[in-house]
Amino acid sequence: MADARPALLVVRLHAEPFDPLALLAGTGPGGGSGAHPGGWCGGLGLDSPAAEAHFIGRVRGTAAGGGVLEALELEHYPGMTERQLQVLAQACAARHGVAAVLVAHRVGRALPGEALVLVAVAADRRGPAQRCGGELLEALKHEAPFWKREWSGGVGTWVEGNTPLG
Amino acid sequence: MSVAGTGLTVQVRLFASLRERAGWDARRIELAAGTTPEGLWRQLGLGDGAIPATVRVAVNQAFADPHQPLAPGDELAFLPPISGG
Repeated sequence: MADARPALLVVRLHAEPFDPLALLAGTGPGGGSGAHPGGWCGGLGLDSPAAEAHFIGRVRGTAAGGGVLEALELEHYPGMTERQLQVLAQACAARHGVAAVLVAHRVGRALPGEALVLVAVAADRRGPAQRCGGELLEALKHEAPFWKREWSGGVGTWVEGNTPLG
Repeated sequence: MSVAGTGLTVQVRLFASLRERAGWDARRIELAAGTTPEGLWRQLGLGDGAIPATVRVAVNQAFADPHQPLAPGDELAFLPPISGG
């Protein structure tokens, strides 16, 4: 059953590498001690939601053309990007009746293996948590202003579009 | 580029590949009344003809209709294909 209360939303952009597992544990972007009881949900004042869905996307090691990827540059539109992420998370959370959504996204120059995106959803049931997480991830790939540039062999190439869902 | 005395001044922003192709990222431009993003795209020579289907328009940091006339003080952005996540 859908939760009637508005969902709690957290949207963060990280200009430096962030540890998604530390964010989930409630210790902040850089990790360290002092995990919040109940992790990120506890930090929002939510008591142990019955279901959580998490997705972590990382920078792959190969460029679209097959070469070795040296770095991935992520440009965004300061102000609009944060606002769009909020709008998309709010709408998705309301559609699925979930309790909380956390979106963290990297900007700037990222290296292979580093986290690009974290989407976490807390809900009363696994179905809404998983559906909301998947839908929000696809929405932000197409509706939040981010642009990727792959650096390979010293050459930067703007990525036009997204990788397939697979 | 200016149209004297119209009072319709907007800020235009370009991102990513569009910015690099044009060679600038932001400009304040005075326009004729009734100018639309579509008209400004042509006026600025940002591409041949109409705005391509892959390019989206944002006005005041929200997606907008390219045929809606601009208002004084608007921030207009042309957004190349998005690739987030």
